[in-house]
Amino acid sequence: MPFAVMSDSPIDVRLLEAQVSTAANGAVCTFIGQVRENSRGRQVSYLEYNAYVPMAVKQMTRIAAEAEAKWGCLVAIQHRIGRIELAEASVVICVGSPHRAEAFEACRWCIDTLKETVPIWKREVCPDGAFWIEGEDALSAAPRAAGP
Amino acid sequence: MITDNLTIETAAVSAETVPSAAGRLLGAHMPTSGGVYKALVSGKAIGCSAVQLFTSSPRQWNSPLIKDADAAAFHKAREETGIEVAVAHDSYLINLAAPTEEVLVKSQNAFRGELDRAEQLKLSWVVTHMGAHLDQGEDEAFERLIASLKHILEATDDAGYNVGIALETTAGQGTGLGWRFEQLGRVLDGVGDHPRLGICLDTCHIFVAGYDIRTEETYEQTFAEFEAAVGIRRLKVIHANDAKKPLGCRVDRHEHIGQGEIGREAFARLVTDPRLLSVPIIIETPESDTMHAVNLALLRSMAAGSGPELNITVHLFGHYTDVLGGVPVELTLPAGATVRDAAALLAARDARLERLAEHCRFAIDEEYAALDAALLDGCTVAALPPMSGG
Repeated sequence: MPFAVMSDSPIDVRLLEAQVSTAANGAVCTFIGQVRENSRGRQVSYLEYNAYVPMAVKQMTRIAAEAEAKWGCLVAIQHRIGRIELAEASVVICVGSPHRAEAFEACRWCIDTLKETVPIWKREVCPDGAFWIEGEDALSAAPRAAGP
Repeated sequence: MITDNLTIETAAVSAETVPSAAGRLLGAHMPTSGGVYKALVSGKAIGCSAVQLFTSSPRQWNSPLIKDADAAAFHKAREETGIEVAVAHDSYLINLAAPTEEVLVKSQNAFRGELDRAEQLKLSWVVTHMGAHLDQGEDEAFERLIASLKHILEATDDAGYNVGIALETTAGQGTGLGWRFEQLGRVLDGVGDHPRLGICLDTCHIFVAGYDIRTEETYEQTFAEFEAAVGIRRLKVIHANDAKKPLGCRVDRHEHIGQGEIGREAFARLVTDPRLLSVPIIIETPESDTMHAVNLALLRSMAAGSGPELNITVHLFGHYTDVLGGVPVELTLPAGATVRDAAALLAARDARLERLAEHCRFAIDEEYAALDAALLDGCTVAALPPMSGG
């Protein structure tokens, strides 16, 4: 069963790994995407993730199910929205499979596909302003009335 | 059996109900490879409530009757799919106005075969083009056509046939007959008011033959002319096709609904026209494998929208959130409008949304949708700029 959730609180990596860590699986591969202090030369204070939540959950579930069918593995995906501080995880993907090759491959495919098809956008908040990141573009963002 | 009860109840209800645009008969010309019944099954799969098919190869003179087993499979599929109306289109070779005796007799025989097979399958109508005079005198050609039809109708009356003949309006290419409404009227009158003789109107054909239907005014004018020369009560089948070529050019090239010279407005009017609600509408648009479903869905949404409008909610994401303050927008669009139309309407409201259609991917009700996808009343559209999750 694919597992895909969206949350606004920190991701518990151990809990997510437990979803795919069955006795049949000799390998669990976990990818953690986390907030970097530097983005294309800009100093980043923190990130704010926005999503079209119902569609994003559908798309993540679809990705997990497709990977499970293709690589014969178990997949759990969690993405965070809202304000995320430096070095905190924004996304975690766990893949459990009998052998490591499938786990690595499926994990890589899941994160690559997620970036392409799951409707989530980040807003980089920097000391000198905020930017919407849309693919390769960084577009000046309106300041928020009150930060969390 | 439960299914039997259901069928009976449905029939009883529809008999008492005034036909509505939302429930109107809509369908497509469907392929029969693998058996005639396939037209019904594949038609049902894309939402047809009416189907048109060839009962034999359309480029071949003589075809045998349908095999009993194939006819039985067709009737069974008819029951299972609940497709209400099925009609045939005849072979392209048939010319019931042919100037040479040889071709004329061959045509009459082949057309009788068309009616025989259609009767076997219990089809309502065989749609046929009216033939061509081939520069051997138009008046004589009409006389021959009328004589052919009288002869075939009498013979099949005697045989107790129910299937009728629907003469199709043509594009006026070459020496083809039947591209002016007066010509249709002339043939109907010539044969006499026969209940098994009617008309099939093809929107692409009449348009390239010079009858405009693009605006309310021209649509009404064209149907007024049709009423005067032919009579709307004689209209039994409609072919809904957009036209690749311009008004009056007399060149017949079909285009997807709303994407040709005729445009969407005429089709929205056609599917909701109260005078035509009991006439099945069949599409014969290109790329049937992939696009019949899309064109049908568009017509269906136009019919369901009935009122000329549909209301949708649009969510904008990424930096567009800042443009409209992060709240969803309510839009009202004409029936049959697409995602592209919604994007254009937003672009007209705010210059910052000008590039929305090129810049974004779109979703309807949380599923990715093409710019050409038809909107349904009450749906939610999302504009999704390049994403940056992960």
